[in-house]
Amino acid sequence: MKSKPVVMEHFSTIHTSYIVNFIFTNNITILTGESASGKTASFSFMKECMALDRNILCLNYLDYQKDIGEIIRQTKGKLIVIDNADILLDDEVRKYISLDNENQYLIIGRNPGNLFATKENLFELVSEKRGEQTEFQIRPYFT
Amino acid sequence: MITIYKKKEDIPPNMEYIELNDVFFNQNTVVKLEDQAKKIVKQIDETELIGKYQILSKFSGTILDVDRLSTGCKTVLNVMYFPEKVFCLKECGDNALEVLYGLEQGAVYSDYAMIPFRMGSVRACSEGLISVMEEYEDLKEWWESEK
Repeated sequence: MKSKPVVMEHFSTIHTSYIVNFIFTNNITILTGESASGKTASFSFMKECMALDRNILCLNYLDYQKDIGEIIRQTKGKLIVIDNADILLDDEVRKYISLDNENQYLIIGRNPGNLFATKENLFELVSEKRGEQTEFQIRPYFT
Repeated sequence: MITIYKKKEDIPPNMEYIELNDVFFNQNTVVKLEDQAKKIVKQIDETELIGKYQILSKFSGTILDVDRLSTGCKTVLNVMYFPEKVFCLKECGDNALEVLYGLEQGAVYSDYAMIPFRMGSVRACSEGLISVMEEYEDLKEWWESEK
């Protein structure tokens, strides 16, 4: 599904020697790929930004006992970043996300089911060394 | 070879199902790590296990707590060290799946297909029937069928 990002087209942050520099081209970005590519590390750096940036909401397996659907339905105008999405999101929540035009999503996982996703939603993480720093970016999964 | 379940109701009652691989690893598997784990950590996360509780970051070379291993790597280690339990397969990348499918024993669950391109033999268990499968297409067909 192709739709423009409703909250932000660019996110960047720095955490010690790590730089996160993501450009979003779609309202739902599914970040997938091999294990140990740095997806969860990037999530933790984005979560740190929640302390200062009201536009970001991060959810992961620590929220397993919570009603994720209700949290999302109560949220407006945020970039919602969801790690461990394959175990946190059920079909009903996925359908809600696919139709939600008030929030933007970065979904870290491998199952695009019920998100009405196309290849334009699928991205992978790439890392590049810059001196002593490592920069994470996203690029289309299917090129 | 590993055993795969695609329906939760097929998991035998004496086998506990574990969905949160991160938590289970951090609380249980970590104390069992030994030489075989070092090989698996190297294969999947491309890093060094430098003690029972520490790894080297593959990005910065700094020392990290072993809880920073990828969820895919933790899943494989959970399956290997606790073959009497069934673990959620859904958070494994292709690199973890390839190692997982080569384990001598263990059990996993996913309600949708999670198959590496290079796979060995696996047991596919559904409605009490166990089938040994060796081909990607056969396993995919089993996973996507109703039975």
